[in-house]
Amino acid sequence: MKNQIRQIFHSSKFLGGFCVMIFLLLLMIVYPLFVTDDPLEMIGQGNFFKPGTYISVTDTVDTDTYTLKLDNVGARLESKISVEDRADMADWLEKFGGVGISQIDVTDAEGLIRLWEQYYSKDAAQDGLLISKKKYYARLDKKIDGILEDTDLKIAAEDPETGDISIAETIPANAYVNTKDIATKRTFILGTDNFGRDVLTELASATKTSLMIGLVAGAVATLIGLILGLLAGYVGGFVDDTIMFVTNLFTVIPSFVLLILISYSVGESARGVTLVATIIGLTSWPWTTRSVRSQVISLRNRDHVNLSKLSGHSLFRIILTDILPYLASYVVMALIVQISSGILSEAQLSMIGLGPATTKVSTLGLMMSWAMTYSAHLNGAWWAFLPVIFSIALISFSLNLMNIGLDQVFNPQLRD
Amino acid sequence: MGKVMLEVENLKTKYITRFGEDVYAVDGVSLKIEEGKSLGIAGESGCGKSTLALSLMGYYFSPLHYQSGIIKIDGKNISGMKPDEVRKSILGNEIAYIPQAAMNALNPTQKIISFIEDVIQAHEPRTSKIDIYDLARKRFEILGLDESVLQKHAVELSGGMKQRVVIAISTILSPKVLIADEPSSALDVTSQKMVIKMLRDMMEKGFIKSMIFITHELPLLYNVTDDIMVMYAGQIVEKGTAEQIVFDPIHPYSKGLMGSIIVPEAGLRDAKLTAIPGTPPNLKKPPKGCRFADRCKYAQPACMLHGIAETETDDHRMFRCYLSREQLKEGYEHERK
Amino acid sequence: MKGLKKYYTNKLVWYFITFIVAVVLNFVLPRLMPGDPVSGIAARAIQGMTDSTAIQKVYEDYIEKFGVNEPIMTQFVTFVKNAVRGDFGVSFSQYPRPVSDIIKSSVLWTIALQLPAIIVGWFLGNLLGAAAAYIKGVFDKAILPFFLFVSNIPAFGMATILLSIFAINLGWFPKGGGYGFDLIPNQSWAFFKSIIWHYQLPFWSVVLITIGGQAVGMRSMSIYELNADYVKYSRFLGIKDRKIVGYVFRNAMLPQITGLAMSIGTMIGGALVAEIVFSYPGLGSTILSAVSGRDYPLLSACTLIITIMVLLANLFVELIYGVIDPRIKAAQQD
Repeated sequence: MKNQIRQIFHSSKFLGGFCVMIFLLLLMIVYPLFVTDDPLEMIGQGNFFKPGTYISVTDTVDTDTYTLKLDNVGARLESKISVEDRADMADWLEKFGGVGISQIDVTDAEGLIRLWEQYYSKDAAQDGLLISKKKYYARLDKKIDGILEDTDLKIAAEDPETGDISIAETIPANAYVNTKDIATKRTFILGTDNFGRDVLTELASATKTSLMIGLVAGAVATLIGLILGLLAGYVGGFVDDTIMFVTNLFTVIPSFVLLILISYSVGESARGVTLVATIIGLTSWPWTTRSVRSQVISLRNRDHVNLSKLSGHSLFRIILTDILPYLASYVVMALIVQISSGILSEAQLSMIGLGPATTKVSTLGLMMSWAMTYSAHLNGAWWAFLPVIFSIALISFSLNLMNIGLDQVFNPQLRD
Repeated sequence: MGKVMLEVENLKTKYITRFGEDVYAVDGVSLKIEEGKSLGIAGESGCGKSTLALSLMGYYFSPLHYQSGIIKIDGKNISGMKPDEVRKSILGNEIAYIPQAAMNALNPTQKIISFIEDVIQAHEPRTSKIDIYDLARKRFEILGLDESVLQKHAVELSGGMKQRVVIAISTILSPKVLIADEPSSALDVTSQKMVIKMLRDMMEKGFIKSMIFITHELPLLYNVTDDIMVMYAGQIVEKGTAEQIVFDPIHPYSKGLMGSIIVPEAGLRDAKLTAIPGTPPNLKKPPKGCRFADRCKYAQPACMLHGIAETETDDHRMFRCYLSREQLKEGYEHERK
Repeated sequence: MKGLKKYYTNKLVWYFITFIVAVVLNFVLPRLMPGDPVSGIAARAIQGMTDSTAIQKVYEDYIEKFGVNEPIMTQFVTFVKNAVRGDFGVSFSQYPRPVSDIIKSSVLWTIALQLPAIIVGWFLGNLLGAAAAYIKGVFDKAILPFFLFVSNIPAFGMATILLSIFAINLGWFPKGGGYGFDLIPNQSWAFFKSIIWHYQLPFWSVVLITIGGQAVGMRSMSIYELNADYVKYSRFLGIKDRKIVGYVFRNAMLPQITGLAMSIGTMIGGALVAEIVFSYPGLGSTILSAVSGRDYPLLSACTLIITIMVLLANLFVELIYGVIDPRIKAAQQD
């Protein structure tokens, strides 16, 4: 036994999967220690805020400033006017502004804007231009307006008694603040989701819940599979025939369909995390039953089992002491497969709206489902779904890797 | 003296394990077989006899690797040939092989005739299917196999039948040398006899010109082959005619091999049944001296020091021992009392 | 031939029994559950307070047609009778469309997407797995872990990734649907082109997922077979390596076929969810809308039709298997 465990940890595949798994588990334990916020707190007022650090604007104004000699205008130009915008501007100037094509240089943003300010007029005759396009140019004009100016910004304050507005402060164009000085800020490493929740914090807690679901589903399926497989394999005869008949039935009838039917039928109010996990477990035992049974059959006639039988040991004792220990490795492998398929099942169920109906916790499936419902993928909000997909893939990848490693140790002919 | 069919000089091959260690499984073997003769190779499992069988064919693939030595078939040196040339012009038609586990030697999902087609077309690509069928049918008939077997898949045949089919396929191109690696050890007694009879028949009918028969049951060879070689830890320890080796073994290991098996043959039965204690040496690090020394009852301190050379006797026998034939005989006599 | 006949009869009978059990489950499961959507339907029809008159009528119609208030055996008989006629009632969420009409319009999309995708993925996967086992070296070391990882991405995940790369960022393919939203289904070339255009991403996402899983399985099967005794024997008879590799792959492929039969249900389940990502007009999207519209008749019909599809696919695979693996025939003769 000791030797086998040593062998298992010599398998690079097992070790790789094991390390990834431990890393994920540690992340789930360590992360909440540092970030103690409620993972489901809706912070953002709006959908899908980009990843980044959010800094309070009023605090920024109040923070001590430094003067830096930097080219503000140039940097602003680069970030505010995209290449497409410039091409459109050049297009307009050429068609409606009467500017010769040789005069326009798209690479020179500043020159382009100067031309624009000189020639563009909202009311110019723009024959053949769609209304939406006209509006686009008007918007673009507004955005560009004042972009080249490098003037100070004046902040006005309202007198609470008289209601008079007076200039309270002037912020020079070259004033900068150090982000470290700003008291209120919040970093969303993976942005926010459709409810304005911090995706990373949510992900850490959802991964934990999903693993729990996998574990419960796997435990239920493995337990049922183990009991049925032991009975079928060891008792044999009529019991074996009956169990195998039922098992074969449920191998062919898609478990996905059963999952849908049961999950829908129990109703939304009852569908908690544990119940969903149990349902998944209840529909995925046939695989385990089959593999346990075939192992038991090969064990049944070993000498030590026969010896135990001749010694008059009870069925229960024979199974417990002479069969189960030899099955342990297979059961562990079956459990690992069941855990990863349980996590996947939950995600798929949630995607069709039959996942856990709860607002108290999040699961990987629910996160994915919400991201899809709010069309994160169509809005380019990759942070709302990619990390989720990646987490699911990573969990099942690490579990499968461990399984392959175990398989190579226990079935040496597969070694390459 | 007949024409020499197979001649091997100082052949050395090794295994490279997946951990990169070398295992010297065949270490300097020389042998010679003449036309119409058969040679038995005996030894415990793990002594390198199966590896020798594979090495003799001059076709090596991982983990087995060729080191040095010469293999000549009918005077033609094959040890320097390119692998693909060996495959095309030697394997199957010059030198053929019957594997140890004939149970699994046939592709379970292929029809026997289709496999025969592949074998023949690998050497003569232009042979037509009709000719092949004719040849196969005739061969099968002569060997007492039903024509219908040709149309069956390996899974549909019984164990004994599979073994006979394998023998028929191995010899279908009438090879000059046939290497049979324990062809009968997995079979029941009746099938065993049938297989041995079949091999002899083929020698008589000229389907094969010479044969090497490998087994761990030394006495079995007495009825089957003309000469016998005893192998231990990758080396030949004794060579002689079947009668000499079975009735009058010189080397302590041959003696031990004869004693460790129940012998049904009359006249051999007086030997006591005694297992050879100990296990063969680890061939990753072969011992410097005599390889059998640490299991040998007659071992001297000098046996451990350096390699033992072969000794030729007057009656054309060879053995590899530090002690002389007389010294060993004396030891055996002493033992009997 | 006698052996095969026995095998076929066995399989057909067995699948027929499975089919009946599946139908019974489809009927009984919802009625046994504590939430029970069926009595829920009856309750809603009787109260009739919340729904508009039209919907109220649909509920009543359903109760009458399927005898939801009758004893369970009567209900079952009515259910089977109606199902045989292809009558699953009227959809609640898409009133007044009959359920059978909705199913009819979506089932073809699903079959046309999944059948070729799973077959292509299966072939490519086996090819890659076999190549990894045979070529080894860099190919095996680099490609295999990649596919091992890919095979662990859920189908909907692969769908989302492909969609956001190729449709959103690069704009090469449409963002969803089965055909252009500005087109009316007809037999024109433009419509056909649009279908093919919309088909690509859903198709390849299912193919990629299938490849991953199959390649991994095929690789270990091939390695196992490459070490088989018949490989060594064939080599020593001078048969070309290429020919031997042919034997090996054929033999390694056979268990992969049974593997396909066993996992086809899981594959279809995953692919159905992938359809949702693309708003593909197949059964996956129909299930989603049935769930969100609390449309029990539609959902029940969907699950039934999926079960039938999976059973048929399985049966088909097993029947083919009987022809190509002589071991089946041999086993039946004992």
